[in-house]
Amino acid sequence: MSKQARLRTQELRRAQEEAAARQARQRRIVLAVGGLVILGLVVAIIFAVVKVAGGDDGPTTASGKVVVPANADAGGAIPVGEAGAPVTVEIYYDYMCPACGAFEAANGAELERLLDEGTIRVELRPISFLDETSNGTEYSTRTANAIATVANGAPDKVWDFHAALYANQPEEGTDGLDDDEIAEIAADAGVPADVVSAFGDESYRGWVASVTERAFDSGVEGTPTLKINGEFWEGDVYTVGPLTEAIESAAEDQ
Amino acid sequence: MTSTVDEAPAADQGSRLHRLRHSNVTVWVTMLIASVASLVASFVLSIDALRLAEDPTADLGCNINAVISCGTVASSWQSSLLGFPNAFLGLMTEPVVITIAVASLAGLKFPRWFMVTAQAIYTLGLVFAYWLFQQAMFEIGALCPWCLLVTLATTLVFFEMTYVNIRDDNLFLPRRVQAALTRFVRSDLDLILVVVWVLVLVLAVVLKYGEALFA
Repeated sequence: MSKQARLRTQELRRAQEEAAARQARQRRIVLAVGGLVILGLVVAIIFAVVKVAGGDDGPTTASGKVVVPANADAGGAIPVGEAGAPVTVEIYYDYMCPACGAFEAANGAELERLLDEGTIRVELRPISFLDETSNGTEYSTRTANAIATVANGAPDKVWDFHAALYANQPEEGTDGLDDDEIAEIAADAGVPADVVSAFGDESYRGWVASVTERAFDSGVEGTPTLKINGEFWEGDVYTVGPLTEAIESAAEDQ
Repeated sequence: MTSTVDEAPAADQGSRLHRLRHSNVTVWVTMLIASVASLVASFVLSIDALRLAEDPTADLGCNINAVISCGTVASSWQSSLLGFPNAFLGLMTEPVVITIAVASLAGLKFPRWFMVTAQAIYTLGLVFAYWLFQQAMFEIGALCPWCLLVTLATTLVFFEMTYVNIRDDNLFLPRRVQAALTRFVRSDLDLILVVVWVLVLVLAVVLKYGEALFA
């Protein structure tokens, strides 16, 4: 092989090596940048998970922190009537639910009479599963929050406000009543102004979401659902009579 | 002479990880695992669809809370876009992918026209999977774990299939495009892209539904 040819071979080899080195360098840069992006994303995911899972703020839900209203419990019950009454009637309902409205129209007066007599203690259990049926205004959550606010600030007005909401119940699938209309109904039912003005804080949004979840976890499948002394009651809720009879027979058993 | 460098087998260069990633076995095994996962998920979703058809209130094992709810997703019109449950499509198509992966592992080489067709059909599948993901996330407002598995597995199968078809020059692309894609794949940019993509999806799910997922 001539000297020239050898030189050329060497040159070519050097050029090859340089090209390979250049490629390797480029690849390292690409990998480093890619690695950084990946690392950043992993950190962001961890951060997001820790942010929602961590913290000692008690149970949280999709709607935020759970604040249990005074005169109600974490399970979702807002008690009405005498604590020592022989029969406890639990009512799971949604302020948007037409069937609940029909139940209230039929049996509201009977319940009120039995409350006044001291035969029953009602546990109102508002839930918000029909939020999707108010065109995004979340009427169920807003009203459940309002009744929780009344329980917290004016427990003796809960029943009247509850009855007034059903007396003014909007149709399912509409926007429902707006916040001002709900406030007006509360004021008319005798809820003090400072309590009414707290509706807007939506302090019990988290509680409403959480008790709704718990209601379904506990076997409630729709509304209205009634329990008498802790037992599901499957009777006819839309006529006057059957419920009263069931309550009276439960009272006699005591 | 530079062409010699360009055409040097990718496996001869770079780190062990790089070589592993570009090995034939890794490619087909990844595709095999992903397509089997997708088939299993499609099977579960098909059974769920039948159970829901029998009894619309059936309690499915994956109805965990308001957000993770197969029932909500399965009852939506999006879940039977073609008039039958989407999952049936997975039952029909994933076995083909499994066959391709196994046959390739056994050393078989499919003709170009076959791989191009597979790529085209699977691309449609990918578009469909992401349309469903987008609908579940932003329209239905609920996620089902099996659907998420399908989204992930479809992404991986698409990734490996595209990788193979670029590597083997199966796609009848203009030379310059083919050369650019080959360089892209050799420098592992495609791998970085798919990892980033999957992480972005995870982040999006966590950001949108995190509170409900971990509460």
